[in-house]
Formats: sequence, C-alpha cells, structure tokens
Amino acid sequence: MDWLFIQDIFRQMLVGIPLTLELTVVSLLAGFVLAGLVQALVSSRHGIIRRPAAAYVELFRGTPLLLQIFLIYYGLGQIDLLRQSFLWTLLREPYWCAVLALTLNTSAYTAEIIRGAVQAVPPGEIEAARSCGMSGLLLRRRIVWPIAIRHGLPVYSSEVIQMVKATSLASIITLNEITGITYRLASDTYRVIEIFTVAGFIYLSLNFVVSLVFAVVERFLNGHLADRRT
Amino acid sequence: MMLPLETLQLLGFGPGGWGLPLLSAAGVTVFAAILGFGLGSALGVIGASLKLSRHIFPRLLGQTYTTVVRGVPEILIIYLFYFGGSLWLTGIMNIGGFDGFYSLPGLATGVIAVGVVSGAYQTEAFRSAYLRLDRGQIEAGRSCGMSRGLLLRRIIVPQTLHFALPALGNIWQSALKETSLLSVIGLTELLRQTGIAAGSTHQPLLFFSVAAAAFFLIGRITGRLVRRVEDHMNKPWRR
Amino acid sequence: MTSDLQQAARANTAAVPAISVDGLHKHFGTHEVLKGIDFQAHDGEVVSILGSSGSGKSTFLRCLNLLEMPSAGRLRILGEEVGMKKVGSSLVIADQRQVDRLRTQVAMVFQNFCLWHHMTVLENLMEAPVHVQRRVRGEVRDEALAMLERVGLQDRAGFYPAQLSGGQQQRAAIARALVMRPRALLFDEPTSALDPELVGEVLKVMRDLASEGRTMLVVTHEMGFARDVSSRIVFLEQGTIAATGSPRQLFGGGVSERFDQFVSRFNG
Ligand SMILES: Nc1ncnc2c1ncn2[C@@H]1O[C@H](COP(=O)(O)OP(=O)(O)OP(=O)(O)O)[C@@H](O)[C@H]1O
Ligand SMILES: [Mg+2]
Repeated sequence: MDWLFIQDIFRQMLVGIPLTLELTVVSLLAGFVLAGLVQALVSSRHGIIRRPAAAYVELFRGTPLLLQIFLIYYGLGQIDLLRQSFLWTLLREPYWCAVLALTLNTSAYTAEIIRGAVQAVPPGEIEAARSCGMSGLLLRRRIVWPIAIRHGLPVYSSEVIQMVKATSLASIITLNEITGITYRLASDTYRVIEIFTVAGFIYLSLNFVVSLVFAVVERFLNGHLADRRT
Repeated sequence: MMLPLETLQLLGFGPGGWGLPLLSAAGVTVFAAILGFGLGSALGVIGASLKLSRHIFPRLLGQTYTTVVRGVPEILIIYLFYFGGSLWLTGIMNIGGFDGFYSLPGLATGVIAVGVVSGAYQTEAFRSAYLRLDRGQIEAGRSCGMSRGLLLRRIIVPQTLHFALPALGNIWQSALKETSLLSVIGLTELLRQTGIAAGSTHQPLLFFSVAAAAFFLIGRITGRLVRRVEDHMNKPWRR
Repeated sequence: MTSDLQQAARANTAAVPAISVDGLHKHFGTHEVLKGIDFQAHDGEVVSILGSSGSGKSTFLRCLNLLEMPSAGRLRILGEEVGMKKVGSSLVIADQRQVDRLRTQVAMVFQNFCLWHHMTVLENLMEAPVHVQRRVRGEVRDEALAMLERVGLQDRAGFYPAQLSGGQQQRAAIARALVMRPRALLFDEPTSALDPELVGEVLKVMRDLASEGRTMLVVTHEMGFARDVSSRIVFLEQGTIAATGSPRQLFGGGVSERFDQFVSRFNG
C-alpha cells in the first residue's frame, strides 16, 4: 500500500463531496415536497386526477434513473418551446438536469413511501380520534401524521441512502462529484484497489452518517416505546 | 417535432429503421438481467448462509459483503469490475507473452457486477425469509427422522422461497433497471443502443422515450409473471 | 392391523420395553432440568406425564425423540441403544442414520401441531413414510387416507393446514404420526393450544388410540384423561420422578403429598 498515493487520491475525492451532498440534499428536499403533492393527487377521489398521478409514480419507479437523466439532459433540448423559455438557462446545465432527474425520481419513490406510511396508521386510532371530536387538519396533524412518520421513517432512511448513491450517475453527464473524480483517477492511473477502496470508504462513511442520523431521530420519536421497556 | 410517418420509419424494421437493433438490444438487456439476477441468487444463498452461521467469522464476512455493496453506488461496483477485470486480464495475457491491453467483454463484466449487487440484496431477502420459518415445523421434520438434506429439500427450501418471493420480485426489478448502467462500460444494451440511435438521428426525445417504454413494459410483464408464481406459492397460506 | 399390533404388543411386553432410559440427565448451561430419570414404557402402556410448569416434562419427552440431546444417561428404543458419544463435556449423536431411523418409531405430536404449511394434509401424512422410510407411495397413500378417515378428516385430505381449525390440525398431526407405524407415540400437551370447544375431538381420538393398545406417552394437563385413560402416571417435579403408579393409586391420594397438592390445584 502506497500511503502517499492514498492520501493524494483521498484529498482529490474530498473535493467531490460537497457536490454529492448538494445534489442529494437539494433533490431530496424538492422531491419530498413534490412527493407530498403527488401523493395528495394519487389519493384523490377523481379518476382524472388520480390516474395521471399514479402513472407518474409508476413510470418513474419503473424505468432506470440513468434513462431519466438522459431523457432530460439530451431530450428536453428538442422541445422548441422550452428552448425559448427562461427555463432553458437552467436546463442547459448538466447540474440542473441532474437535480431535476433526481428530484422527479425520488418524488415518485417518496410518494409511495408516504402512501404506505399513511396506510399503516391503524384505523382504530383514527376512529378513536374522531370519537374525540377531531377531524380535518387537526386529526391529521395530531394523530395521522405523527403515527405515519414513525412508520415511514425507516423506509425513508433507505431512500435517502439510495439517493446518496444515485447522485453518482450525475458523473455520466460530466458532473465532477465523487464518482466522476473516481472514474477519472481510475482511468488515469489504473490503480484500481486503492482508488475504489477510498471511494467506497467515502460513500460508506456518508451513508453511515445518514443511518446514524435516522437512528437518532427514530430513537427520539419512539420515546414512548423506550419507556415501556424500562 | 416530426411527422408520425417518419417516426414510424425510424422505429421500423425497414432501411434506415432502428427496429432491429433496438429489439436485439432489448434482448441483451433481458439476458444480462436474467444472468445477473441468477448469479445474484447464488451469491444470495451463500451470503445468507454466511450471515446465519453460528460462527463469528462467516457472519462477519456476510455482513461486510451486504454492508459494503449496499452502501456504495452500483456504478462504482461496475467500474470496479470493469477496471479491475481488464487489469487482471491484461496481467494474465502479458504473463502469457501477449503484449498490449485487454479488457473483459462487457457482458461478462456487467453480469458479474449486477450479480454481486443483486446478491447483496438477495442475501437479505433469503436471510429474513429463513428467519420467518416456523421452528416447530422444522422440529416436526426432525422428529420424523428427516436427515439434514431431506429437511432442507422438502421443508426449508420451499418455505424460505415462499417467504422470500415478494422481496425477490422487487430485487428483480432493480436488477433489470441496473443493467442500464452497463451502457457506460460499452455493453450495447437497450439504453446504449437508443443513445446511439438518438445521436445519429438527432431524435433523443423519441428514442429515449421508446427505451423508457420498453423498460417499463419489460418490468410490467416480468412483474406479472412473478406475481403469478407468487399466487401459486401463496395458495397453501390462504385460508 | 390393530390386532397385529396388539399381538406384537403382547409378545413383547415381557421382553423388550418400547422405550427405556437410565439415569437421564439434561442441563441447559448451568440450569439442570432433568436430574437422573429412570423410566421404561412397555408396549401397550399409556403413560401420562404430569407436573407443574417448568418441571421438565417437555424436555423429557423431547429427549426420547432426540430433539434434545441428553447430557448423560442411556436411552434404548425398541431395545436398541441410541449411540451417543462424548465431545468435550456434552453428548452428541454418534450415528445420525440410526437416530433418524429410530425417530420414526417414537413419533411426536406437538402442542402447536406443526403441520408443514406448504403441503396439503395428505402430503403431510405421506412425507415421512415416503421420503424417510422409503415405503411405496401407493401403499402409503392408501394408508394415509385410511388414517385420515380414522381421525375423521377424510374430506380434508386436499386441504392445506391453514384452512383447518386447530382441532382438525391436531387430528391431522396425530394421523401424520400414525402413518409412520411407530411403536410409541409421544404427545406434548396436544390440547393446550386449542380452544376449549375443540379439546374434546382430539381427546376422543387419543382415547380411541389408547383403547386399541397403542403405546403412548402423554404430557398433559387434562386430569380427566390422565385418570381415566392412562395405565400409569409419572409425576415429575424439578427434574426427577417424584411419584409414579397407577391412576387409581395416585389419584386415590396419600401416596405423595406433592402430587396431592398438585392435583388439588387443578380441582380447586
Ligand atoms: N432450549 C432451552 N434452553 C434453555 N432452557 C430451557 C430450554 N428448554 C427448556 N428449558 C428450561 O428447562 C426447564 C424445563 O422446561 P420444560 O419445557 O421441559 O418444562 P415443562 O415441564 O414442559 O413446562 P410446561 O408445562 O410449561 O410446558 C424450564 O425452566 C425451561 O426454562
Ligand atoms: Mg412443556
């Protein structure tokens, strides 16, 4: 093992971390908001609203992310209307294409997670709340959402990890996040073992932090369960 | 945008049509996915046995496999096998007296990479399915004088498979989509082939949409097949 | 077939006990559960094993089928000594083949039925005879169907366990044990997991088996069954046989103070 070399590539890859994190955080935040919206549409009573929303979820979950990135990066430029609009200044950039693709992608998965979490709320507890005179927003805010969050959080934590990994595909449309740098180093030096060990280590550390954060939040939210054990 | 007739020609099988290359690329996608998933099943069984072992060392090995592979991007694993594979092959060829640079065929690299990733997820699927087995039913088998092998074949494998099937269905869908990443190491599967078509016709929107539709349909059809097997295997568990 | 069995039973009673244990010990870690048990069950005997919770009844029964390995002692099934060898400080099975063969001779009926859920009732019955005992499939099938009729499940052969009630599952489990043509049947609280109204149908099957001269060891909390059906009572306490004798002797009272206390808890 050549420690100097390892230190060198480690330093080079560190430069990519901010971009990886930025892509993750921005698209997770935007994706979550979008997911809430999509999920509201999916649970609509009207087929005209529900069906397109459901199709959106199915389509983004049923096709590869890389394809979605290509469709946005190469495909959108073909639409003249878009090219002439102010949006083009953004969508010309690979960065925003990646953000858009990642956002749409995660919104579909997250919508599904929200649906599952809300469905997991026991009907009895909702009835109990109704019998106490709760309804509408109060019912959701005080009963449904708190229970749903506890159900959905573990699933969402793996979605976040998937997203940290998914940002690596941005490297294919020229973004120099961790994987982009890794690829360049590997094809320049062919020192496969060192390079992939370091890159793998960085991703594992990021994801370790993610699971740690979620574990702490879950611990905090499930305080009522912890008490019972003592 | 373009006229529908031209579109049909572009996607058709006639001269100047991309129908045939796209169809065969779809075949490559499905083939790579099946082989990768199959390799993943083998690795999954091995991984689950490691993780279920009574001894600490195999458990640690299995745990490392799933943690590492599930914690790093799939594309990184593909690159690893791509660069690592060609390094290894070149080394061997140079020792054998053949100079120059060699790389493994994209399909082989791709299948191995998809298999290794799929195997990590299948390890979890098999492991948790095994843990759901009813100990009493296994004991009943032992009490009837079943040998370890017989017990495995007649009781443990069928029931584990039954419990694992829903998760395996999801992992299959992931494997199918993951094959699209093999385009970056030069395997002419569906995504790469549509990329080529898009480039040479300047119709990316059309061709990538076609690829999306193809992936979606393949996923749907195979998903339905899995569901049918699931229904069949669920029969005993229904009341 | 019944008369065959009874003949065999009569011929063997004097000679070899179906099950015989000497100095059976079993501990889990430092916890000693069985502390030296000497016991014999002869052909045709119905032995009820009683005792409070944790006294080691299940452990004892499971040792006889070698689901638990004894820590010390000798075990003979049909006069054949079960080979065990010492590895470190514990015993292990010396010859797995022998054990697999003998297990079919002491068939176990479990508290939770433990039917295989991926097989129909008929497949459950045929599994061990065909795959362990390697008997001819067609014959086994006929015998299995006959056995199902005996326990009143002839119309449930093609059902899956999940589609049966608890009582039906337990009767099917008894039939599964019988198709192996065992020399003795071991029951571990066969009615404890059942709803009260389903207990009767299982006990009836067991009474029928007892009256046809089957060798049975029954761990039970059904005092009525123990008193009326069994030929002998074994009362376990803290891993030893605290009292044994005919139901008449023991239930008559005065033989063992502890047993009387135990019974009074049930009646009280
Ligand atoms: N696999 C095991 N590991 C550790 N301890 C065990 C094990 N099996 C049984 N024991 C212990 O051995 C003792 C006797 O258990 P056993 O199941 O034989 O009692 P039992 O008489 O059948 O009781 P019950 O009427 O509740 O079924 C108990 O204290 C139990 O905790
Ligand atoms: Mg017990």
